[in-house]
Amino acid sequence: MNSRRSWMIVPAHQAEATALVAEWKPDVAVLDLEYTVPPRAKEAARAGVAEMVRKLADSQVDVFVRIERDTRWADVTAAVTRGIAGIVFANPDGVDEVSDLDEWILKAETQNGVEPGSTQLALMLESAKGFWDAAAIAAASTRVCALGVGRIDLTMQLGPVPQDEFRLFRFLMSRTVVAARMHAKQPLGAHWRPGSRGGVATTDATVQAAREARRMGFSGCVCAKPEQVPAVNECFSESSV
Amino acid sequence: MQHDITSSAAPGGDKPLPKFIRRSLVALSINDPRLTEKASACEADAIVLQFDKLSGSDWQQELRARMPAAIHSAARAGAEVFVRIARNAAIAELDAAVFSGLTGIVLTGVSGSAEVRQVCDHLARIEERRGIARNCLEISIDVDNPAAVWHSLDIARASPRFGMLIVNEQALCVSLGMQTQPQLAFDPLEYIKSQLITVALAAGGQAVGMSYPLGLTGQQVEDATLKKAVRRARDTGFKGAMCPHVSWVAACNVGFRPSDDEAAYYRKVIEVFAEGLKRGMASVPLDGKMVDVPVDVRAKLYLQWANRAAARDAEKARARAASS
Repeated sequence: MNSRRSWMIVPAHQAEATALVAEWKPDVAVLDLEYTVPPRAKEAARAGVAEMVRKLADSQVDVFVRIERDTRWADVTAAVTRGIAGIVFANPDGVDEVSDLDEWILKAETQNGVEPGSTQLALMLESAKGFWDAAAIAAASTRVCALGVGRIDLTMQLGPVPQDEFRLFRFLMSRTVVAARMHAKQPLGAHWRPGSRGGVATTDATVQAAREARRMGFSGCVCAKPEQVPAVNECFSESSV
Repeated sequence: MQHDITSSAAPGGDKPLPKFIRRSLVALSINDPRLTEKASACEADAIVLQFDKLSGSDWQQELRARMPAAIHSAARAGAEVFVRIARNAAIAELDAAVFSGLTGIVLTGVSGSAEVRQVCDHLARIEERRGIARNCLEISIDVDNPAAVWHSLDIARASPRFGMLIVNEQALCVSLGMQTQPQLAFDPLEYIKSQLITVALAAGGQAVGMSYPLGLTGQQVEDATLKKAVRRARDTGFKGAMCPHVSWVAACNVGFRPSDDEAAYYRKVIEVFAEGLKRGMASVPLDGKMVDVPVDVRAKLYLQWANRAAARDAEKARARAASS
């Protein structure tokens, strides 16, 4: 049974984050230090993340922390704490960057009394370079547990904002599944359509995106809002027949 | 049918398109008591032999004893004969299964180019040891896992013996965590197939596969449905398909080549263009379309393809007649 179907994003600066996790019961709670946290709240979010991880310790969910690319060193130092399952890192640029992050996490583990090597890494691909080097990136660290298709922002790099079905997205999803499965990592992603994805997706759109992704080989996806969790859990529970 | 795989040029110096006339491939087991009967009745361009390794027995010894006759049986109706070899036991299986009369092997479970190079080197030793013409045995790849997809170009270029990339949709779906029932409105393997077709051609071989969803289900379907599916596969770039049922063979043999109507049209194109050239024109109209150099070249290539397919059918018919 796939145990990490829904990766629910919870802004780490919001006091009600733990209540949201208790209410929606995702498989994975992703405490966010990235773009759902306004810049002025970043420092407080970072300072409070360890406490939030501690509060979630009894919730039966795996707790990950999504870190900001530009502040990843400070974010990792704050996030790697007892009770954390792993780090979500968006837009890895290459193997070296993942190796560096691996070393930095090790430093934080040693410093914060966390078992060395126990903190996992979920990498969300978001650039052309990242997708092209997906297999090498997935194998860049033994910590990597999942490889995901990142925010559709990558379409801005790869071409104009699509008005209809974005077929290049299926190519990128296909590439991600192959790279992830090749290295026994969990492929994360949903077959979102332009205009109905992430935080603006209706329940029906979420069901369709998750169900199609499941049939394409994915086994979980990020839920930008809590209401997506039940649909995502149900769709990614479909059998493999 | 054996030929030196290092010299693939057709008479006249042009590379043939496709490289091989292998429209229909059928897997048969050497453990099947009806192997000879099935192979004789089968009109496939190629037969892929597979074998069971019975536990508790000296499988190598048994295989060595049975393979030469099995190859002979499989070739009775003029099919090219291959043997399926598992990468994780490749050396032992090659020693036991590769004998004169084979066109090549189909290697399963390949995850990288080093494995292919090792098999290539060992085939050279077997060719020398068993009196098989040097560099004749081909290596085709059963693409059945994610690493074979990701490293397909390196794998295909790893040996001059490379022949075909065979898309094993069922195995790929399982290893990629996809559902094995076609429930999507689109082919989840579309881009993987595109990659494999391009890679196979780039490496000097060709790709074998079927269109969605038939490639996944392998079902027996009505003739009209099968015909459309084969046409879609041909239009995608596949040059033949593994046939899970003998009922697919005829449709593949007809569908993976230009039709008689197409061939007639290409003859007309060539004729009209040649007449135009005599009149000093490099572009001439035909049925409302312009025929110029690329159109003429394509017509010649496709006509050659149609003729080679017809010649292959005649060759198989002679073999069947001789063996009956």
